[in-house]
Amino acid sequence: MTVPGPAAPALQIVGLNKYYGPLHVLRDVNLTVRRGEKIVVCGPSGSGKSTMIRCINRLEEHSSGTIIVLGTELNDDVGNIDEIRREVGMVFQHFNLFPHMTVLENCALAPMLVRKVPQAEAEAAARRYLEKVRIPEQAMKYPGQLSGGQQQRVAIARALCMRPEIMLFDEPTSALDPEMISEVLDVMVTLASEGMTMICVTHEMNFARRVADRILFMDRGEIVEEAVPDTFFTAAKNERTRQFLSQILKH
Amino acid sequence: MIPMLKNQKVRNTVQQVLFVGGLAGLVLCGILIARKNLAAQGMTAGFDFLWKSTGWDVNFSLLPASANDPYWWFFLIGILNTLFLGTTGLVLATVFGTIVGLARTSKNELANLLGRTYVDIFRNIPIILQLFFWFAIITHLPAPRAARGVAGFVLSSRGFYLPIPNVAAPAFVAAAFALIAAIALPIWLGRTSQLQRPFGERGTIQLAATAVALALAVVILLVGHASGTPFLDIPALQGLNLRGGLRVSPEFTALSIAMAIYGGSYIGEIVRGGFLSVGKGQVEAANALGLSGWQIFSLIRLPLAMRAMLPILTNQYVWLIKATTLGIAVGFTDFFMIVALAINHAGQTIESIGILMGGFLAINLSLAAIFNRINKAIALKGNQLRGQE
Amino acid sequence: MTVIALRPPAPSLAADWKRRFFATPLQAVVSLLCLAVMVTVVWTILDWALLTAVFDPSRGAQACLTPGAGACWSVIAARWRIILFGLYPYDEQWRSALACLTVVAITVLSCIPAFWTARRLPLVWVAGTGLFYLLLKGGILGLPYEGEEVWGGLVLTLFIFVSTCLIGFPLAIGLALLRRSELPWISKTTGIIIDGVRSLPLISILFTFAIVLPFALPQSLIGDKLYRVILGSALFFSAYQAEIVRGGLQGVPRGQEEASMALGISYWQRVSRIMLPQAMRNALPATINQFVITFKETSLVVIVGFFEILASGNAAYGTGEWRFAYVEVYVFIALIYFVFVFSLSRYGAFLERRMAVGAR
Repeated sequence: MTVPGPAAPALQIVGLNKYYGPLHVLRDVNLTVRRGEKIVVCGPSGSGKSTMIRCINRLEEHSSGTIIVLGTELNDDVGNIDEIRREVGMVFQHFNLFPHMTVLENCALAPMLVRKVPQAEAEAAARRYLEKVRIPEQAMKYPGQLSGGQQQRVAIARALCMRPEIMLFDEPTSALDPEMISEVLDVMVTLASEGMTMICVTHEMNFARRVADRILFMDRGEIVEEAVPDTFFTAAKNERTRQFLSQILKH
Repeated sequence: MIPMLKNQKVRNTVQQVLFVGGLAGLVLCGILIARKNLAAQGMTAGFDFLWKSTGWDVNFSLLPASANDPYWWFFLIGILNTLFLGTTGLVLATVFGTIVGLARTSKNELANLLGRTYVDIFRNIPIILQLFFWFAIITHLPAPRAARGVAGFVLSSRGFYLPIPNVAAPAFVAAAFALIAAIALPIWLGRTSQLQRPFGERGTIQLAATAVALALAVVILLVGHASGTPFLDIPALQGLNLRGGLRVSPEFTALSIAMAIYGGSYIGEIVRGGFLSVGKGQVEAANALGLSGWQIFSLIRLPLAMRAMLPILTNQYVWLIKATTLGIAVGFTDFFMIVALAINHAGQTIESIGILMGGFLAINLSLAAIFNRINKAIALKGNQLRGQE
Repeated sequence: MTVIALRPPAPSLAADWKRRFFATPLQAVVSLLCLAVMVTVVWTILDWALLTAVFDPSRGAQACLTPGAGACWSVIAARWRIILFGLYPYDEQWRSALACLTVVAITVLSCIPAFWTARRLPLVWVAGTGLFYLLLKGGILGLPYEGEEVWGGLVLTLFIFVSTCLIGFPLAIGLALLRRSELPWISKTTGIIIDGVRSLPLISILFTFAIVLPFALPQSLIGDKLYRVILGSALFFSAYQAEIVRGGLQGVPRGQEEASMALGISYWQRVSRIMLPQAMRNALPATINQFVITFKETSLVVIVGFFEILASGNAAYGTGEWRFAYVEVYVFIALIYFVFVFSLSRYGAFLERRMAVGAR
């Protein structure tokens, strides 16, 4: 099943199950993501969407099933886990920037430690990515001195500095004040247009319509709907999807 | 083997086995070496020595003790001594700490300054130095024949003499229980749900309960009083020494003073912190309801502050109990000193240290358990006061 | 709406005092009582310590014994060397003095925020303690060798304190990390060790390490009693400090660790670059408090027979003509402790306030 090398799909999930004690939070999830594909995952809270993308880089350990990232199976092999984490970037709801380091240090740290990039090179790259997320002038500030939207853009730049093949976004805009959401989404749109493989958990339906190749709807640990945006918004097959959409698009 | 180690589960198991196994191995090595060393000295390991008589004596004991008694009896006496000294120090320290803490939170600037000076001085000097100081002071006091006292209380180089009722020991114990009841009853009455009465009425019932218990204590003492002797046995000079009354040895006196003063400086800060934690809103609300100053203190500030202090106070009490081991510095036969003496005389080092550790574990864990229960019992239900700043 | 900004007329001094100290009859009684206590205590101490005190050691002990004489500071003038330096040879005591200054320097440098990095702080402590040790022990650079048996007084107290912290701190971090381990056997075992040590009195641990441990160690590992006691004291320190560090680690948001895991940063780098720097910041006030307590508790080694400052103090008044001057000696030692401990705990309180403001 494993296709090695660059021909492998970005992500293959087969028969994924996850339990928290007696709680069955992911039920038999199957998903294949091609390279360069943009997936948006939505669903009510507690539907398992965050848990699913956190399984992809082993922030959560799955109970059964297979996850193959870029041709490498995510199993108990420590080497595989390290390799996958190097290639998969993640952006969190609460930014999780390191508060005791400057923005530049936040960005340059992982390449220096993990990829052994020399400091000067890492910092130059960090500045390039900060430019890309449009805040090069904040490089020497500390995260606490930035607004939420700026912090989230730094978090995106930090993940990009590792030059990942895949980017995971775990509700990147839900902790932001409304006026800051678009500055983050703009950066994500640019990223998408450059061909990055992206899996985004988000409720920003306009973003999904614009960017996604496919939209997944999850409920109670299952993927209940999987469709291209047009079909998803106009002709969803599942009743729960329609209900969710009507709630979220009401306003 | 190497690829196996790359597996997370294998790796976790190996790490745990190595860690626990390594520690167990170290301990085992120590025990084996100790056995060999002991065997070389012709000694056998084991707890048989507990039933041998000690051949030495203790200078303080609540129970009869002589050199003929076995080691286990002496260990028991040691634990009792530690508890006795600990309780004395704990009660005194709490009294000192409460006074200081109240002074620190009072609106009176002079009282505040006084309390603060006390805390700053006595918290910042090691307790053992304070102990040496008080012990030196007491042992350099005038000898009993030259010492003068007030109303039968005499401080001399031979210790602290105080009058004591002439009653038999069982009556004394019974009276002590009655006294404890006098304190505990009103608290219990205040908490029990059968007594859902208005505050004023409840207060009267509590007061009555205390009065009854106190009266009972007095009656017990009067009944237990040995006939034909004066009610109070007052220390009096006979020849070169004081006779009668209760003599508290210089060691015990110095230890109690040191624990009271040093512990008091810590407890004072805990009490202060407790009162500071009571939200201004609560006091303002009580003021607005028209409660008097005393009512605000006894019904609002004190109960809330108590809840805030208790967990920290528990730690401080555990600390104070451990501080009784300072007894060895001045020669008071507390649990630790008895263990040290036993090691000197019987040589059963590892066993004795084991007993020591077990004893302190038991004392501290039960103390913590008691206070945790109290804490749980009085803790505010739900989260009525959370998020108060 | 108009805001009336009229200030009330400044109260007269008498009115102000009345309000502050004599507002109610009870307040008045309390104020007067406190005032009486203060005046008595301050006057007694002043009279004893300064006005009637004897300072001149050349007048000998007899001068202190004349009726009406107060504190006998001449005992300090005559015996300060034994209190501070113990039995260290007279000609070499400048080394002890320098060593004491080293400790002061370590402490002061550690209090400067610029030194709070994972490199500088250990460097200050290792270099400082090394210098301290070389100065005292000698045997190189033309300094005559002096064995541990002649170390004493304040110098020994400081040496035990500094080495306790130097050994205990890394140990504490190790214990805290082990207790936070995800592997249940490791965290439980460490928990038992930490809680066990914490429930024991320090004296019993010092006693065990000084007197009992040699039985259970192979001949080659027994070492000097001083170093065994330092190890025991470090173990005790680390059990308490480990809980403080653990508390600090718990204060670091879970997202910090997740973010660094997602970036592929390894466990050790995660701990040293992300977790510990933030945890130590959270734990700083409690840590300083623990240092203060440890410094005070160092004095307990007198019980297992070391000639530290308390023992040397006892010796200073215990022999010959100064037998009566115990109060002065104890007050002198208390002052030394007080200066160290008070300034350190003030500094801790200052940091705590500053951090409370910083955290908004």
